[in-house]
Amino acid sequence: MTIGVTVSETARFAASVPYSVIAFPFMLREDAMTRLTRRDFLRTSGTGVGLGLLAGCAPKVSDFSQKTGRRVVVIGGGWGGATAAKYVRLADPSIEVVLLEPNKEFVSCPFSNLVLSGVRTIESITFDYDRLRDRGVKVLHEPATAIEPGARRVRVGNDSLPYDRLIVSPGVEFQWEQVEGLAAAQDRVLHAWKAGPQTVELAKQLQSISDGGVFVLTIPPAAYRCPPGPYERTCQVAWYLKNKKPKSKLIVLDANPNLVSKAALFRAAWASYPNIEYRGSNKVVKVDPGAREVTTELGDKVKYDVLNLIPPQRAGTIAVTADLVGADKRWCEVNHLTYESVKHKNIHVIGDSTIGMPVPKSGNVANAMGKICAVAVASLLNDKPVPPMAPGNTCYSWVSDREAIAVVNSYKIDGGKVVQIEQKLTPGQSEMWAQNAVGWANSIWQDMLG
Amino acid sequence: MPFIMSLLLVIAVAGTAAAGPLDGPGAPQALVCSACHGFGGQSQSNTMPILAGIAPWYFKKAIQDYAAGKRQSPEMEPYAKQVLQFGVDDVAAYFAAQPRTATPVKPEPAAVERGRAAAVQCTVCHGVSGKGDPSRGVPDLTGQPPGYLRNQMLLFKADRRSPADDQLKALKALMRTIPDEQLADLAAYWSSVR
Repeated sequence: MTIGVTVSETARFAASVPYSVIAFPFMLREDAMTRLTRRDFLRTSGTGVGLGLLAGCAPKVSDFSQKTGRRVVVIGGGWGGATAAKYVRLADPSIEVVLLEPNKEFVSCPFSNLVLSGVRTIESITFDYDRLRDRGVKVLHEPATAIEPGARRVRVGNDSLPYDRLIVSPGVEFQWEQVEGLAAAQDRVLHAWKAGPQTVELAKQLQSISDGGVFVLTIPPAAYRCPPGPYERTCQVAWYLKNKKPKSKLIVLDANPNLVSKAALFRAAWASYPNIEYRGSNKVVKVDPGAREVTTELGDKVKYDVLNLIPPQRAGTIAVTADLVGADKRWCEVNHLTYESVKHKNIHVIGDSTIGMPVPKSGNVANAMGKICAVAVASLLNDKPVPPMAPGNTCYSWVSDREAIAVVNSYKIDGGKVVQIEQKLTPGQSEMWAQNAVGWANSIWQDMLG
Repeated sequence: MPFIMSLLLVIAVAGTAAAGPLDGPGAPQALVCSACHGFGGQSQSNTMPILAGIAPWYFKKAIQDYAAGKRQSPEMEPYAKQVLQFGVDDVAAYFAAQPRTATPVKPEPAAVERGRAAAVQCTVCHGVSGKGDPSRGVPDLTGQPPGYLRNQMLLFKADRRSPADDQLKALKALMRTIPDEQLADLAAYWSSVR
C-alpha cells in the first residue's frame, strides 16, 4: 500500500528541512516514538495467523444482547467516537463501553493530504484499536443499522444492543444525488475525503497524470468536514505538480464565493504555485466521467485528466435514519453542555454530524467533544452534576512539504451555550508550525486511541 | 476486625465512580489540554511541554503571559484565555498533582554528551540538578521534550519570548552567545537529566 515513496518519510522530511530550523539530532525520533501500534502489528503477526487468532476470540454482537450493569454504546470509532469510548472508561471504569466501528483500522483525515503529495505514507497515519481494547472498550467491527430510542437499543442486523446512554459519532455522509452522474461513477470519481483506500488511489492517479495534464479539484458548499482541508489539498497537489509535472495545472472549482478558512494565509502560500487556477462561486452540478468533464451551476464545462470531486455532505446515515437531524435533514442539534440530542433523550451526538455551535467540523473539535461528552455521560449515569466544559480547536494546514499554517479557536460556556472566546491565526507560514503540527498529530492520535 | 471493615469500605468506595481520575477541581477543565499535552499533562510529543507535576506558580505565570501576549503563541494565546475563563488555579493544581514521567523522546547520546560538556553555563541559575529555583522564578528543565526546550531557547535568543521582561535580560544575552547547534545539544542534555 505504499505509494511511490522511495525513502522513509522521516528521512525525507529531514532531508527537506534546513538544519537551522528543525533538523536537530533528535527531531527524527518524533515519529519513531509514537507509542501506538500502527500497522506494524498486523505486518509482523504473519499472514492471517494473528488475525485468525484475534478473530477466534473476538467478541460478537450477540455476546451483548443482554445488559447486566450500566452500558454506554458508541457508534463510530473516529475522532469523536474513539475518544468518547476511551474517556467514558477513564471517567468511570465500572461502565461497560461497546464501540461499533466497521473499519478494523483507523486512518487519520488530518495529514492525509500529505499522502497525496507523497510526503507521508498511508501507513504513518493508520492505527489499530488495540489500546482501546486494553482499556476495556469492547470494540465490534460492525455497522449500526438502526437505533430504537424508546427501547434504548441499537440494532446491528438481527442483533440488538441495549444501552443506558448512546453516543453517536457517525461523521459525514456524501450527498451523491446533488451532483448529476456522481452516484453511478463513485468507483472512478474519487472524493478521498474519508482517509483510506481512496486516498491511496487518488495519490496514484495524481502520480500517473501526464506532464501537461489538468487536475480538477471541486469543493462543496459549506458546511462540510474540515473547512481548510480542500485548500490544504490544493497546496499539496500544486506542490507535487510543480515539482514532478511542471507543465500541469490544477483547477479548483469552489462552490463557495471565496476560501472558507485561513483565506489570506492560503492566498499567500499560493503565490508560490502559479499552477493553481482558483475559481470561486463555481459549484459543480454534473460529472461525465466518459467525457472527463464537469459542469458548473453556470453551465461552464471543465475538462480534466484527473478529477477529485468532494461531494456535498450531511450527517452520517445512522443520524438521519434515527431522526437525529433537524429540519434541514442534514445536521444534528445538541445540548451544548452534554451533547444530548435535542430530539431524543439518552442519545448524544458529537463530531462532524453536529450543528449549532460556533465550532468548525474538525478532528480536534470532535476529540474535544468526545472528552466532554464522555464526562457528561459518566456524570449523568452517576446522578452527578455535569461540569461545564468547552471544546477547543487547533488546526494546522500544510502549505508545502515543509511549512504549515494554523488557526486556533477557544471557547467558553455562556448562558448554557458554547461561545467563542478568540480565534488566532499564525502570522504566516513556517517550518516551526509544521514541527508543531507533527507534535499535535502524534499527541492527539495518542489522546484518541492510545 | 476494624481493619477489615475499613479495607472493605475502601474497596467499596474505590468500586464506585467517586474515585475516577476525571473527578476533582480542574480535572474536567484540563481535558481540552490533553489533545496536545497528553492525558494528565504527560506530553508524548517532542514539541509540547510536559505539564504533569509542573510547579503551579510557573503554570500560572505561563498562562497569564500567553493570555497577555507576553509569550507570543497563536496556539497558546486562545487556550490560555480559556484556562483563565474556567479557573487557572484549579487547572494549575490539577497538573501539579499529576505524577510526572520524563519525556519518551530519546535524544542522540552524542548530543547529550556534547550538551553535558556545555551545561555549566545553565547551572548558575537552574542549579547543578537543573531543577530550578521557585523562589527566584527559575523553572525545572529536566525531562522536558528536547524540541520544546530548544524552541524556547531560540525564542529567548531572538527576543521573541517575553520581550520587555527585565528579569530575562541576562538570560537572553547568554543565549545570544550560544550557537544554535549548541542550544540543541543543551536541550538534549537537560531533557535526558532525571
